[in-house]
Amino acid sequence: MQPLVAALSNSAITLIVIAVVAVLFVMYAIGVFNNLVALRNRFKNAFAQIDVQMRRRYDLIPNLVETAKGYMKHEKDTFEAVIKARNAAFSAGQTAAANPGDPRAMQTLSTAETALAASMTKFIGLTENYPELKANTNMLSLQEELTSTENKIAFARQAFNDAVTSYNTAREVFPGNIVAGFGGFGPAELFEVSAPEQREAVKVQF
Amino acid sequence: MDFFAHQERARRKTGWLVAYFVLAVLGIIVTIYGVFAAVILYGESRGGSLAGPSGFWNPELFSLVAVGTLVIIGLGSMYKIALLSRGGEAVATALGGRPVLPSTRALPEKILLNVVEEMALAAGTPVPPVYLLDHEAAINAFAAGTTPQNAVIGVTRGAIENLKRDELQGVIAHEFSHILNGDMRLNLRLMGILHGILVIALIGYFLMRTGSRRVYLSSSSGKKGGNPLPLIGLCLYIIGYIGVFFGHLIKSAVSRQREFLADSSAVQFTRYPDGIAGALKKIGGLDSGSRLQAARAEEASHMYFGNGLSASFLNLLATHPPLSERIRRIQPDFNGVFAPTTPVDHLTAEVIDPRTLAQRLGEGAGVSSAFAGSGVHEAAVEGAERLAFAPDAAVMQVGAPQTKHVDYASALVRGLPAELRGDVRDPLGAIATIYALLLDDDEPDVREAQRDYLRNRADPRAWAETERIVPFVAQVQAEAKLPLVSMVLPALHELSSRQLAAFRDDVTWLIKADRKVSLFEYGVHRLVLKRLIPRLLGKTVAAARVTDLHSNISACRGLLSALANSAGSPEKATEAFRQGAARLFKGGQELTIMSSGEADLRTFDRALDELSGTTPPLKKRILEACAECIGADGHVTVEEGELLRVISDALECPMPPLLQ
Repeated sequence: MQPLVAALSNSAITLIVIAVVAVLFVMYAIGVFNNLVALRNRFKNAFAQIDVQMRRRYDLIPNLVETAKGYMKHEKDTFEAVIKARNAAFSAGQTAAANPGDPRAMQTLSTAETALAASMTKFIGLTENYPELKANTNMLSLQEELTSTENKIAFARQAFNDAVTSYNTAREVFPGNIVAGFGGFGPAELFEVSAPEQREAVKVQF
Repeated sequence: MDFFAHQERARRKTGWLVAYFVLAVLGIIVTIYGVFAAVILYGESRGGSLAGPSGFWNPELFSLVAVGTLVIIGLGSMYKIALLSRGGEAVATALGGRPVLPSTRALPEKILLNVVEEMALAAGTPVPPVYLLDHEAAINAFAAGTTPQNAVIGVTRGAIENLKRDELQGVIAHEFSHILNGDMRLNLRLMGILHGILVIALIGYFLMRTGSRRVYLSSSSGKKGGNPLPLIGLCLYIIGYIGVFFGHLIKSAVSRQREFLADSSAVQFTRYPDGIAGALKKIGGLDSGSRLQAARAEEASHMYFGNGLSASFLNLLATHPPLSERIRRIQPDFNGVFAPTTPVDHLTAEVIDPRTLAQRLGEGAGVSSAFAGSGVHEAAVEGAERLAFAPDAAVMQVGAPQTKHVDYASALVRGLPAELRGDVRDPLGAIATIYALLLDDDEPDVREAQRDYLRNRADPRAWAETERIVPFVAQVQAEAKLPLVSMVLPALHELSSRQLAAFRDDVTWLIKADRKVSLFEYGVHRLVLKRLIPRLLGKTVAAARVTDLHSNISACRGLLSALANSAGSPEKATEAFRQGAARLFKGGQELTIMSSGEADLRTFDRALDELSGTTPPLKKRILEACAECIGADGHVTVEEGELLRVISDALECPMPPLLQ
């Protein structure tokens, strides 16, 4: 290298230094860009995990309702409410899956999920008043699967929200904010559901 | 050639790679210099004035070009190498792959995951994450990563839709062979180094774009001849693609023969030539064959199962041998005709073709049940109190799984409770499974304490799932416990850092609860706490390279002493130690055994850490010494066999399950 370098004039050396600095700068910018891409992929993949479990739950709910219908003959309103909430959440879920983190899609999903959680609570609460239904093995096994699936959804949501927070932070601090502007990295929205933690039995008054 | 020899040879081959690369760089420097000199001469002849002596040879310009080129190529390569050293995920995502969720409900994806899992259990590697290249209709696959422990497998959508299970198994076996033969690390290095040459083409392309809106003025006199940038850009672009040509040359020199080797290893693995031959034939029968659409498919072209690039003059030096030749090496009577490929309906396709099974079990008569394979499992379990293995035999199996291991793995998975087979592949289920497995079987007090801890300190959902799973975990046989852990590990990739940290703390607490460390707990410690979690949190610490065992005498002593001291009487321990030490150092060094007090678990653990940086031939010696030490008392229990496998895994050598 030495003889090569010695043959260079000052202007040539300046040129090289500028070129190297330019290349380093570009590589750094690429690195920041790639980091944002990686973080964005991370929360998109995390949403896929929620989606798998949500679909399982959307499949379970009609089964639960069918099983309960045999025993709870006069609760037609509740059943309809549950199925309606389930359908709304299902389609909100599909929209969100197509574009995870998109603020509008996530807000619609959050609302739909909250509504579904509320109507499920009411539904399960009502079943407490029908001992034969409660003892039905099919119902028990479905309920257990539902609880397990709800836990998995909540856990996956936590991972998703962690990933979204990392991404949002990266795109807000320097130097991420500059690259984010050029690269079209929009803000991502968290998936929050205000679900009641406990299922209280709803007493039917005669 | 065994696993260790393969790995060592792959390491050495890197030397050739570097030599070719240096030649290529020299060629590129000369070419670029030629271009620049020509442009300047042209400029000068048009009346411009540029500094420097006239004539073609300009030492200053040459130095400028040389230094500039070296810097750019160097930076490009270093950048890529750094990117790839983090593991195979980078390659998978660059090609447009998305991770296949272990809890997926799509049948083709489930089949894919089951096949990969079976192969991993049979080979003794951790179950690798699987990526799906959704947008590729062609049939292709790759394995990327630097060690068998951080490998990643990628498969195209075309593959899972067009291949039957047996054919998919052939493809995956081929990829696993790459992993076990040391090709993976070499390929990744190749990719990193060659990237520097590609950078020139990228710069050229960029420069070409800057001049796109300006017209090259060629008529005005007295002015410099317009903007030279696009012209220079074009030349750099062309030169850069000369770099790509050199790249192909190097790749094919290094990797072409490996494809034949991987094919034949795969046949050995599954002993079902129709599988891999069938996959190759289906590639031939598909319009898009194995060609990938992704813009960056070029970079990893040497890593695919089939040729990923379309035929062009640049591909005269293809990275893969021709399809027909590959098929004929496996099925000599192939007639060269490719039937058109149609998608497979997985619901109706037979999962195990009775003819396949009969072939593999060597029976002429028809086999009625697909569960005939489970006989191997039963034989392995019964009388599995004592295995009879010669130490050398166990070590020879490293990196060389066979059909019986695949059958064993498949039977093991089928023998698990149904709940655990399907339901624990999501992150929460994986965590709960591991917690449930760590609950103490022997001491009720400890078990209560562990449950209290989980109830109060762990995530409430994790606790709820654990409670639900406990009855199923209780049914799992002892030798299936560590494999079960291995099966649920991929799901842990989806945890956030926060969740991972909480999981790590919980597992640590659970292991320490009884103040003892059982073999199973030690296995969990090494697989999960020492390897997976640091890697996922980005905190791996590479072990220092060790080329001579003499510099790590105390580690060797500690390792062998801990093993020997479990032999029973002190005399037996000394004898076992002596035999092990004799394997490590042929004559010469006389090692003395450490007392039980000194050679405790922590010493053992640290010794393993230190020795994990040894070169492959030394690893072989260490494993042989350990096996000798364990087998010195004439018999080997299942537990001791598992310990050997844990040691092997810590040294990053995949050891298949030890069977009769």
